[in-house]
Amino acid sequence: MDEIVCTGCSLLCDDALAEEKKGEVKSLGLCRLGHTYLESAAKHSEAFATISDGKTHTEVSVDEALEKAAEVLISGERCLLLGWSHSTDETVKEGLGLAATLAAFFDTNAIFGLAQALSHKIHSLKLDINLEYVRNNGEFVIYWGTDPTESSHRHPSRFAVLPRGEKIPEGIESRTIGVVDVRETETMKMANHRIIIPPGADAELLEALTGEVSGKSSITSPVAGVPPTELLGLVRNLQKSDCTVFFYGSGIQNSKNPGENLAGLLALVNAIRATGKEAYALPMSHDTNIMGAIGTTVDTADSPSAVDYASGSANHSPDSTSLQRLVAGEFDVALVVGSDSLAELPGPAARALASISLIYVGPPGGLTPRRAAVSVLTNDEMIAASGGMHRVDWVEVGMKSLSKTAKGAMSQYEALMKLHERIRQKKD
Amino acid sequence: MKLNPMELYNLLPKTNCRLCEPKTCMAFATKLALGDVLPDDCPPLLESGFEKNLEKIRELVAPLQSTETTGIKLDEDKCTGCGNCVVVCPVDVAAEPPTSEGKAALSEDTVFRVENGISKIINLEKCRRFPPDRLNCRVCEQYCCTDAIEIW
Repeated sequence: MDEIVCTGCSLLCDDALAEEKKGEVKSLGLCRLGHTYLESAAKHSEAFATISDGKTHTEVSVDEALEKAAEVLISGERCLLLGWSHSTDETVKEGLGLAATLAAFFDTNAIFGLAQALSHKIHSLKLDINLEYVRNNGEFVIYWGTDPTESSHRHPSRFAVLPRGEKIPEGIESRTIGVVDVRETETMKMANHRIIIPPGADAELLEALTGEVSGKSSITSPVAGVPPTELLGLVRNLQKSDCTVFFYGSGIQNSKNPGENLAGLLALVNAIRATGKEAYALPMSHDTNIMGAIGTTVDTADSPSAVDYASGSANHSPDSTSLQRLVAGEFDVALVVGSDSLAELPGPAARALASISLIYVGPPGGLTPRRAAVSVLTNDEMIAASGGMHRVDWVEVGMKSLSKTAKGAMSQYEALMKLHERIRQKKD
Repeated sequence: MKLNPMELYNLLPKTNCRLCEPKTCMAFATKLALGDVLPDDCPPLLESGFEKNLEKIRELVAPLQSTETTGIKLDEDKCTGCGNCVVVCPVDVAAEPPTSEGKAALSEDTVFRVENGISKIINLEKCRRFPPDRLNCRVCEQYCCTDAIEIW
């Protein structure tokens, strides 16, 4: 069996083995999601392309599809480049270059809250620690508004809950686990503190905990419906722990008041640090290489997302992302790369995207290639391994491909490079 | 088959005399169902008038006393391949030390190994519940978040 890097989620597990023989895929160490991704990726090892007239899809050569895609993109008045969750860093960089060539608007799935979270002063576009540090030092781990048992299956077993580390000699027995969510989750089964709050009550709870930790106020009555004894027990463990790590997810990033939630979380982290203990916050995100996409966009365009090249140079548009602009009808053509945006966008934005000319480059499957006028269907990066990606803690992971690579294989990067070349030639 | 604590509770004296370690009859029934205490650890149960109850309880908990009859059932439909059982199993950690740090089990020496996305029990006889250890270890069941693992 060969070493492989899984692209099923943002953990990019690189400790697994896999092989493909006569169409059958076997793996050791991949979770159910990762193995399913591998099975799907292995089925489509050769690139192919389709063109649609709105009713039927006709298979064409990749060259023909790229030619048609270039024509459609150039003829558009206002173009959107979207997706990039399952693209390598190199592909994202090529995409930013293509956006500049087309004077287009470039955006990623970071618009779903992660860009705002990373830009907030809780991070200021950098993370203080990585997951290995959590494994080696994290005594008190709190999952807030995220359920890794559902979204990133191996997060608790690889890094945050169960494994041993330098200062965590007995694994789970050396840690305290807390889960805060709006419903009972499966991750709560491993937790010492299980706190269920109503939606939108995160900031209130964070403020109460901060007051108690800093000694500026006392919790004497229920907060967000949680009894004071439960909260005081949580605070006691926050004060005892030498290193507390908050993993926060959609519950913080995508709730009604994410800015207030992030400010509250930052205040709590700072309150714990003021007592002489370590405390950190790390975002959770499921998308495979969203952190790589954000990092590459920051390096290239000085912004984590929403980059507008209409003026000829990169301009950040923090108040108006692709979602608002799509719904407002600003774009007439879109190129979606490495994501199933029609399945991922909120309803009004997805409907707006489906109503304009759509080009898709990426692995087959999902709603977007079904709707696209032109689809160039490439290898999944789990097989192609054409570049680098970044894990959810911003650690770079080099991809490793299965030893057998099909003759007709093409990565997203190759397809995008060829598309960009054609567009440049047509514009000259 | 898992024992039902309520069934055991209904056979106990229900005096809450606090002479046992768990202190209440409900807590005693729960620990009895897990095999953490024995029927003889309940003093009132040994008194006259409770002979039939004692006999029934002994019959119900007998399988727990002999770990040769223990088994671990893994429901593959519920399993997500998260690897919690691999990392938390003390036998796995001794057989393949990198699993203690969260790495995937790749050898054939562990009790659990995630194959094709699902955890498999590849060496049941190495489980500590069996001889020579005969320990009442249930960590795999305890940390399986999807309830895919059941110990009986």
